[in-house]
Amino acid sequence: MSDLNKLYKKTVLEHNRNPRNYGVPESWTHHSEGLNAVCGDLVHVYLTISEDCLQAVHYAGESCAISMASASLMTEFSTGMSVETWQKKFKLFKQLMDKNNDLQEIGGLGEINTLSTVKKFPSRIKSATLCWYAMAAAIDGIPNATTEN
Amino acid sequence: MLREQFPGLQQTVHGKPLVYLDNAATAQRPQRVLDAIMDYYLHHNANIHRGVHSLSESATALYEQARQSLARLLNAPSDKNLIFVRGCTEGVNLVAQTFVRSRIQAGDEILISHLEHHSNIVPWQILCEQTGAVLKVIPMNDQGELQLDQLDQLLTEKTRFMSVVHVSNALGTINPVKKMIAMAHDKGVPVLVDGAQAMPHLPVDVQDLDCDFYTVSGHKMYGPTGSGVLFGKAEHLEAMPPYHGGGEMISKVTFESTVYNAVPAKFEAGTPHIAGGIGLGAAAEFMMETGMSQIADRDQQLRIYAEQALSEVPGLKMVGTAVEKSPVFSFNIDGIHAHDIGTIIDHCGVAIRTGHHCTMPIFQYFGLAGSCRASLAFYNTEQEVDVLVESLLKAKAMFE
Ligand SMILES: Cc1ncc(COP(=O)(O)O)c(C=O)c1O
Repeated sequence: MSDLNKLYKKTVLEHNRNPRNYGVPESWTHHSEGLNAVCGDLVHVYLTISEDCLQAVHYAGESCAISMASASLMTEFSTGMSVETWQKKFKLFKQLMDKNNDLQEIGGLGEINTLSTVKKFPSRIKSATLCWYAMAAAIDGIPNATTEN
Repeated sequence: MLREQFPGLQQTVHGKPLVYLDNAATAQRPQRVLDAIMDYYLHHNANIHRGVHSLSESATALYEQARQSLARLLNAPSDKNLIFVRGCTEGVNLVAQTFVRSRIQAGDEILISHLEHHSNIVPWQILCEQTGAVLKVIPMNDQGELQLDQLDQLLTEKTRFMSVVHVSNALGTINPVKKMIAMAHDKGVPVLVDGAQAMPHLPVDVQDLDCDFYTVSGHKMYGPTGSGVLFGKAEHLEAMPPYHGGGEMISKVTFESTVYNAVPAKFEAGTPHIAGGIGLGAAAEFMMETGMSQIADRDQQLRIYAEQALSEVPGLKMVGTAVEKSPVFSFNIDGIHAHDIGTIIDHCGVAIRTGHHCTMPIFQYFGLAGSCRASLAFYNTEQEVDVLVESLLKAKAMFE
């Protein structure tokens, strides 16, 4: 399979077409807006957190397939998780998406590992990571987020 | 063949012949520009205007010859009308902070258009913040053409300056700047024209336009990055205070006071991008030898061909359909985000730009986050347009 087909693999295309937990929910306790100024990607993450547990995770916005699929996968992956566990997973996710290593998968990230192919497309890594940074910001009560650097 | 003079075009990307359609971001450079730069570093490397030794003299001569070549390209009355700058961005900032700043007060108005690149918006916003002046905008219509019927009433007794783009980098619209300049002059308003996207495609005659200032970016007109020139009418340049202080722009310095050098040196503080200026002069010579009207004709052939070819891609929506247009195509395709298209067609060797193209207000007008932009130059071919179309169809197929 070519790199391109690996990037736009079935999972990504399917999540892009049928995004899970997409749209502004009726209520939430935490929200953050992630903006990638260079390409104009904009993602909103809405969380309902009670008793340190991520009861509901939603997102909205208009962005590329990589960004849509990453956000969709993230909401499925995170729902029901404790905030503490999520933060550990977020660290792992950052490691997975670090273009300075060749890691293709990390135990404990499940289907999220599918996003590691984006590392072959350095200009697109931020598309995949933006929603995660927005979610981390939402948890911390920060209204705006960008990807690191 | 002209195309063969551009080594940057003779490459493969992902194993496919490069189809370079990102000329509005930066063009490729002909061999003679690369040779001129190498020749300076190899055989004339010295600082200019500062030495009596042979290398400094020949470097100075080459730099000043380049200024003369650019004066001929723009049909400036004299090479003394031209200031070397880093590009259009610096040209606009220079005019804002020297010419306009000294003649503007709180409540005065500066007029720009909806089609401007950020580099012809932000310097004026900074000036407005500094002075309390107000920024006004000539509106555009759904085709991406300026609504010139509104220009007359936007030029008020408070308007102190107008700065407009000649050709839009995002939509390709060619503005009737000669007419706009005449209308502004009728009201006593001086005008700067941003020629970043015009100079690579159209004959430009600053005397015929009668503009007060005209600025170009070297890297978009087949010259080096970090080079460019600002044309200014002599009476303005004489009256303007310097921009940056430093070496070269002075004729006498004591701790009490400084006497500034003559125009254009007054505006060229410090050691300039010497190789860049010399390379840009070579680009100007290349363009004059090729012929600006030949370049413009070839551009229009390509525009017509590409317009037709792209119109046959199902679901493709063109943004910007002005009657007078450079070969720049901004478009979106239903169901596929621009960035995905950019990545996919890159694997077919096709280089385009995706995003807002430093013109966010244009995309705000259309309610879009951005677009794909294919921008052609005279060295592109009909076959390359066909490869673009095939690659777009391939992207669509992947997403179906
Ligand atoms: C219309 C227009 N104006 C100004 C600029 C700025 O030119 P530079 O970045 O070379 O200073 C550009 C470059 O993108 C442009 O397209």
